[in-house]
Amino acid sequence: MSVSTATLHRVISETPAQTARHARVAAGLAELERWLGDQVRLGLGQAGDRDWDDLVKRLVDAQAPGAAGLVARLERVRAAAGWPGALLSEYALLNLLAVAYRRRAELPPSLARTVLTRVGFTTSRAEVLAEPHVVDRWLVLGVRDEPLDHVTARRVWLRGQATGRPALILTFTPAAHPMDETPPPGATLEAALAFYPAAAPLRALVVDLDGEEPPGFVLPPGAVEPGPHGAFPAPDGLRGGSSAAGLGSWAVSVEEALEEVAGAVAADPWTDAWPLLLDGVVPGRADLGGLPLCPVCHDPWRLIAVSGGGPVTVAVEWTPLGLRPLTVWDDDARPVPL
Amino acid sequence: MSGPGWEEMVSTALVGTARRLYRGELLGDAAVEVVRRRAGQVALDVRDRERADPEERAAVSWEAAERLGRILGGEHGRVLGEWLAVAAGSGRRVPPHVLPDLLERGRRDRSIRAWLGVLAGRRGRWLAGLNPAWAFLLDEPTGESWEYGSPADRRAHLRAVRAADPAAARELLEGTWERETPEDRAEFAEALGVGLSMADEPFLERALDDRRREVRQSAANLLAGLPDSRLAGRMARRAAACLTVSGGRVEVRPPLECDAAMERDGVRAKPPRGIGERAWWLQQVVARAPLRMWAEPRVMLGLRISDWDAEVKAGWVRAAVLQREAGWARAMFAHDPIADLLGVLPPEEQQELAAEFVKNQDMDSQLIMVLGGVEPPWGAGLAAAVLNKIATIAASQPWNLGELARLAGERVDPELHALAGQSGAAEVAEVLRFRAEMVKELGRKELGREELGRKELGRKELGREELGRKELGRENA
Repeated sequence: MSVSTATLHRVISETPAQTARHARVAAGLAELERWLGDQVRLGLGQAGDRDWDDLVKRLVDAQAPGAAGLVARLERVRAAAGWPGALLSEYALLNLLAVAYRRRAELPPSLARTVLTRVGFTTSRAEVLAEPHVVDRWLVLGVRDEPLDHVTARRVWLRGQATGRPALILTFTPAAHPMDETPPPGATLEAALAFYPAAAPLRALVVDLDGEEPPGFVLPPGAVEPGPHGAFPAPDGLRGGSSAAGLGSWAVSVEEALEEVAGAVAADPWTDAWPLLLDGVVPGRADLGGLPLCPVCHDPWRLIAVSGGGPVTVAVEWTPLGLRPLTVWDDDARPVPL
Repeated sequence: MSGPGWEEMVSTALVGTARRLYRGELLGDAAVEVVRRRAGQVALDVRDRERADPEERAAVSWEAAERLGRILGGEHGRVLGEWLAVAAGSGRRVPPHVLPDLLERGRRDRSIRAWLGVLAGRRGRWLAGLNPAWAFLLDEPTGESWEYGSPADRRAHLRAVRAADPAAARELLEGTWERETPEDRAEFAEALGVGLSMADEPFLERALDDRRREVRQSAANLLAGLPDSRLAGRMARRAAACLTVSGGRVEVRPPLECDAAMERDGVRAKPPRGIGERAWWLQQVVARAPLRMWAEPRVMLGLRISDWDAEVKAGWVRAAVLQREAGWARAMFAHDPIADLLGVLPPEEQQELAAEFVKNQDMDSQLIMVLGGVEPPWGAGLAAAVLNKIATIAASQPWNLGELARLAGERVDPELHALAGQSGAAEVAEVLRFRAEMVKELGRKELGREELGRKELGRKELGREELGRKELGRENA
């Protein structure tokens, strides 16, 4: 490695333990780089599930769990139609990550931080809470639970009314434990968020009024109570009139959305999810307002039913594979989870 | 950017740069291209999409729709039919977001389709036009006209006119009768069962010569319900030739043959398996002969009937049902408790008889069959008898409780949930409470008879099958 220790210290101050970890990660990612180079030299088709499994294990051993996670999903990439292009995309971005890690001293601090996060370095809560707090009225765009091995990951997608900023609250609950109560899609909450430092900040913690992050996702005082089964009454600002009018201060047009995504991808090329509230879009069976839906989201019948073929306001998660609809607001401005 | 495009990068990577020359660093170039493409995405130009017509009917409340969602999800799934019936009866529709789940259920479960035509609204039909799996919806009645509606629309229209003005419905039908398809004629003829009178007799008598067997059968059944009809007269003469009452005995001589005239009057020549021909003909002749040709049921049932006792009584049971003779139905129920007979009696009496029956009957399939014939909602008397039975069975044979408890949960007036709670039938009480909230949300007190009509029809068919099995059993004995 040709990076001087002095340069590294300018990016992040390191303890001896961290220095030791960086040595292991560097070795692991250097191997990843060589392996990817071999794949492109010998042909994309020659690597199989077993190669990826081995690579995942070695990256985990090298303490680069983020990179390991990116390799672990290759199996699914290759199972889908059009896999050669998708696999090359994944390889290229993995290679980019390994190179960026190797040369992180040359990157602007926020991008260097993003690279470390993607590789698998965690950011402590204290560090996050030390970031500036963003106070806003946040609209809950959607909630999605994903069962992992021993925990359930819950993603709560938000957008701020005044700042227009997207946010992701990611919490993990042990599989056996009941999930914390989460405000349902369509609810709004007045809250201060602290964003994880990144080139395109998205993940955040909810900060309570004393400036400390509460355990789990607890509603700050004054926030509306969630109702059962998504039957959440529209907040005052959303009631009456067309949904587009009520949600106007959160929603963006398709063009604005694409511009925002372009900005996020430019800042963080590994961006794989970005929450948006689209205004006045008509859903089809494979697209939403002309933007493709991700393949598993095709035939979104509930969304189509609510739209009746007309324009609706829809919360979505942008992903490189296409949009994933989260919530649609019906004629009475009621949020309908999708 | 000049240089190789994305497709070329992919095909080169696929075979490998060892075999195909690539100038530059492929993975690096690919990363730039991937990010460029993601950041440079543009929206496709989507042409104007066809929009659904605006709705005419109001939607049920959000809370009601939310409960429907839970029922479809399996919570008290058996009350689905009642939810749909009450909602459809109130002339409303479901909000659009429930439609995909509801139509998907309708695709798998035909029994609920009749309600969906109204409930799905225009949005539902628009969706059914997009998704062939839901195309069945387009065949359900929606309130369109007699001249232009779908077959289902026209049946619904005819039924509605018949209920309001029987003569107008018959004239409507006579106007187009010759042009109707055989399937429609069969359906339409059956619709005349409501508001049946002697004014329908000439039309029905002509229908006995229809080419379609189902039409002839419907007409014969309806004419048998009119004691003054020509068919009833012919049947009376046949029955009189078979049964002779003298000296406290009934001598029975079943028909020796089933001639063309008998067949024209709806007597089926070929018996079901296990029944003798003459027994079968006898039973049908007795069933279609006007009951008033006999003495009081009390008297007739007191007589000794030679040899063919079971067939004659099965005929009277069927006659009581066909001719809707309350006196005979009451008498025959005491003699042979069959659900069909209860249908002839007014609701209060159905419930009284059923309550009495429940008290003295062991837990068996006949108990369930009889209770299945008692129209909802069950009032306090029958509810108490059934809850009592549930308590008894819960103590002695709890494994046998399921169907009775389910039936009670579905049929007992939901307002009586406290009564069920007191009797210790917690499950029944819970279903009743759920239904009480449901009905309140839908803004109507109870499930009307009309909405249950179709469901009852289904049960009647079952009842007839049961009748068939009984006949068969007797023949064997």
